[in-house]
Amino acid sequence: MRWRHLDRSLLLWLLAAGVLVALVANPIARLLWTSVQGTGGLTLDNYVTAFSRWRYVEALGNSLILGLSVGALCAVFGVPMAWAVSRTDMPGKGLVWIAVLGTFIVPNYLSAVAWILLAGPNAGWLNRSWTALTGAAAGPFNIYSMPGLVLVVAASSFPYMFVFTRSALDLISSEMEDAATTLGAGLWRTTLRVTLPLTLPAILAAFIVAFLEAIAIFGAPALIALPGRFQVVTTMLWQFFEFPPKVEVAAAYAMPLLAITVLLFWLQQRIIARKGYIALTGKGGERRMVRLGRWRWVVLGYCVFVTSLSFFLPMLVVLQAAFAKAWGRGFSLDNLTLHNLRFVLVDQPLTRAATVHTFVYGGVAAVLALVLALAIAYIVRRGLVPYGRVLSYVAMAPFVIPGIVLAIGFYASYTSPPLVLYGTAWILILAFTTRFLPIAYANSDAALRSINPELEDAVRILGGGRLLALRRVVGPLLKRGLAGAFILVFIPATRELSSAIFLCTAGTQVLAVLLFDKSDEGNFEYLSAIGLILVAGTVAMVLAGFRLVGRDFMLRRTAT
Amino acid sequence: MRQVLALVVTAALAIAVPVWSNAWAFDGEKELYEAAKKEKQFTWYTAHYDSETAAAVCNGFEKKYAGIKCEYVRTTAQVAYQRVSQDMKAGLAVASVFSSTDTSHYGHMKKDGWLQPYKPKNLGELIDGFKAYNDPDHLFVATAAGLVLITYNTSVVSEKDAPKKWTDLLDPKWKGKISIGHPGFSGYVGTWVVQMRKSYGWDYFKKLEVNKPRIGRSINDTVTMLNARESWVAAGPSATTLISKDKGNPLALVYPEDGAILMISPSAILKNAPAPNTAKLFMEYLLGKECNDIMVKFRQDPVNKTVKVPAGMKSVAEVKTIRPTYDEIDKGIPEVKEMFRDTFGI
Repeated sequence: MRWRHLDRSLLLWLLAAGVLVALVANPIARLLWTSVQGTGGLTLDNYVTAFSRWRYVEALGNSLILGLSVGALCAVFGVPMAWAVSRTDMPGKGLVWIAVLGTFIVPNYLSAVAWILLAGPNAGWLNRSWTALTGAAAGPFNIYSMPGLVLVVAASSFPYMFVFTRSALDLISSEMEDAATTLGAGLWRTTLRVTLPLTLPAILAAFIVAFLEAIAIFGAPALIALPGRFQVVTTMLWQFFEFPPKVEVAAAYAMPLLAITVLLFWLQQRIIARKGYIALTGKGGERRMVRLGRWRWVVLGYCVFVTSLSFFLPMLVVLQAAFAKAWGRGFSLDNLTLHNLRFVLVDQPLTRAATVHTFVYGGVAAVLALVLALAIAYIVRRGLVPYGRVLSYVAMAPFVIPGIVLAIGFYASYTSPPLVLYGTAWILILAFTTRFLPIAYANSDAALRSINPELEDAVRILGGGRLLALRRVVGPLLKRGLAGAFILVFIPATRELSSAIFLCTAGTQVLAVLLFDKSDEGNFEYLSAIGLILVAGTVAMVLAGFRLVGRDFMLRRTAT
Repeated sequence: MRQVLALVVTAALAIAVPVWSNAWAFDGEKELYEAAKKEKQFTWYTAHYDSETAAAVCNGFEKKYAGIKCEYVRTTAQVAYQRVSQDMKAGLAVASVFSSTDTSHYGHMKKDGWLQPYKPKNLGELIDGFKAYNDPDHLFVATAAGLVLITYNTSVVSEKDAPKKWTDLLDPKWKGKISIGHPGFSGYVGTWVVQMRKSYGWDYFKKLEVNKPRIGRSINDTVTMLNARESWVAAGPSATTLISKDKGNPLALVYPEDGAILMISPSAILKNAPAPNTAKLFMEYLLGKECNDIMVKFRQDPVNKTVKVPAGMKSVAEVKTIRPTYDEIDKGIPEVKEMFRDTFGI
C-alpha cells in the first residue's frame, strides 16, 4: 500500500548513492585486493617485498619526519599571522590576504622550482647574494635537503593553518580578554594564556591537515628530494611504477600511508567535534582589535617575511626565469626574451592541448563533484534513505586517501576489463571528482544546513514533488554558496599532479604533468613559462569567481 | 640541322631528367605522401635529442610534407618505454613512431610483437658503419647517433685542469662539483653506467659516490647544471652541450682518452600505429638529407653519409669510442639500475 506514496525521486537518490559508493569504494577495494595478489593467488609476498629493503622503510620514515616538521612550521607561520589579521590593528591586512590567496593558487611544484632557483647550493640567488655580500666561499642554503623540502612544503601549505586559525579567532569575543586585562594581565600574557588556548582545537586540526597534506604530496619531493638523495613514500610509489610496473607491490606499500591518514583524520574529527566552529552562532559579543602601538610594524614585518617566502620571492624568480634567455645570467635587460613562452606555446604541440585539457577536466570534475555532493548532502540532511549517515562518511572518505594512492587504485580498477577507462579523459575526470568530493560535500552540507525544510514541505503540501521543490526553491537559494564551492574544487583540480601522474597519456595531458615531465631536462626557463601559464589561467578564473559571487566566497564557510 | 636538333634535345634531356627525378627523392615517395596526407597527423614518442631538437625535426617534417602535423612527446628513454608499454597493455593506439636510446627496448618490443617491419628506401644513405645496428628483419633502424663524454664549464675550470679520462672524475678535487643523470630514466646514462662497469668494475661508482655527484634524471640535465654553475664537470651528451655552447654558454667538451661512449639509437614503427603511412614517410625523412641537415645544426651526429659534421665538433668516426654489446646492455641496464640505487641511495 505504501508504494503508491513513494516519491518517484527515491530512485534518483538511490542512483546517487550507488554512484558515490562505486566511485569511492571501487578504487580502494581494488587497491586492497591488488595488494594481496600474487602469481599463485592470495599472498602477503607483496608486503614482504615492499618493506624488506631498508631504502623503502627509510622512505616511510622520511615521510613521517616531513609531515611532523611541516605541521610545526605551518603553525609557526600561520598562527601569528592569523592572530595579527584577526585580532590586532596591524596595517596592510588586505595585502597579507592577497598574498595568502596567491600562495593558495601557486602549485607546490612550481614553488619547488622557484626555490631551486633561489636556494640551489651553488647557483641559487640567495646563496649568490650571500657570497657577494660576505665574501664567503659558498652560501649556507641548500634546497636539496630535508629542511629545504620542509620549507617549500610548509610555505605552500600554511594557508590552511592561517584560514582555520583565523576562523576560530574571529569567533572569540573580547569579553574573555577584557576579563583577563581587568584582572591585571598584560597584552602578551592575555594572548598566550587566554586567546590562543581557545583556538587550540583549530590549531591542532590544522596541524593534522598540514601533516596529511605533507605526506601525500608528490611534486615538490620529486623535484627536491631526488637530487637531495632521499626518498619519501610518494616518490617511492612512483618508482614502483617504472617499467615493468609493480602495481601489487605499490598497492602494498601504500597501505601504511592510508592507515596513518585514516587514523589522523579520525583524530582530527574527534578534536573538531568537541568544538563546533563551522557556522556562526550569532551569540553576540563584541570583537575589538588589540592595539599594538609600535609593535604593529614588527608584526607586519613578520607577515611580509612569511609571505615573501611563500609567494613574493617565488613568483619573482619564476617571472624572471620565464622571460630569461638563461636564468643564471640575472636581471639584465639583454637577458629578456619571449622565446620561452613562444617555444612552450608554439613549438611544443602538447602545451596548448594540455592547457585546454587542464581547464576542461577541472571544470567537468568540479561540476560532477558538486552535483553528486549536493545530492548526497540532501539525502543525508533530509533522511531520504535508510542509513543515510554512512553515505556522508563515504563522501568524506577520499579526503584521507593521498592523491597518488587514489591514482594507483584508479589505475588498478580501470586499466583492465570490465571497464577500461585508461587513455580516455574520463579516468582523469573521475579521479579528480573523487579526490575533491570531500571539499564539495563539506560546502554543500554547510549550505544546505541553513535551509529550513519547511520551504520544501510547503511546496509539497501545495502539490509539487520534491524535485520541483529542489529546482524552484532550494536551488536558487543555494546559488551563491555553490558558486564558491565550485571554485574551491576547480582550482585544486587544475593543478593536481599526484593523482594525474599515472593516469595521463599523450592524448590527455594536463599542464601539471607536462611541467613535471619537462623537469627531467632541468630547463627551468621552460618550466617557469609553463607554470606562469597555469597560474595566469587560475588567477583569471578566480577573478571571474570574485565577480560572480562577491568578495566573500573564499572568506567564510557560511551559506548565503 | 637534324643532328643539331638531336644534340640539343639530348642535352636538354640530360639536364632535365636528373632535375625532374630529384623532385621526389626516392621511389614511391609521392604515393606515400598522398597516403600520409589522409592521416593528417601522427604522434612520435622520442628519447633521442632534447626538446628543442625534437621540435626542430618535427617542424622540418611539417615543412617538407605540408598538410601533416607532427606531434612529438620527448621524455627520457625509460619513461618513453613505460608509456608505450602502458598503451600496449591497455590496447591503446597512440604513438606511431618510437625512438628510444636504450637499444634493449627494441629486442623486447620485437619479441612482444609490438613493431611492424619497414625497409626504408633511404637505407642506402645510412652511414655504413651504423648498418650493423639495424634489425635484420627491418623492424628497427638506426636514426640517431651521439656521444657520452666529459663536459665542463670553462668559466670555473681551465682546460689544463679539466678531467682527461673517466677515472679523473674520481679525483677528490671534484667533490660536490660533478653532475650525472640517472640510469633509471636515461638510456644514455644507462649505457654509460654499463660501460663504466665493464671497463672499471662497480668500484668506479662506489668511488664516484665519495665525490657526491649531483644526480638528475635526463642526461640533458647535466647541461643546465653546468650552465647554472651548480656543477663544474659532468658526464654529458655531446649534442646538447654543444647547442648550449653555440648559444654563448661557457661550456667545453673533452673526448676522453679511454673512450667516449658511442650511442647509436634506433627508431621503429609500432604495429598498431594510428598513422602507418606517415610513420613510414617519417622514417624515410629521418634518414634523409633535410632531417640530417637540421640535426647537425643542433649538433647531433648525422646518420646520412652525405651530410658533413660542422666545424667545432668531431664526427664519431674521428674519435676513440667504446660501446657495450647489445647483450651487455640488455642484461646490464636492469642490473645497474638496482646497483645504482643501492650505491647512491636514490
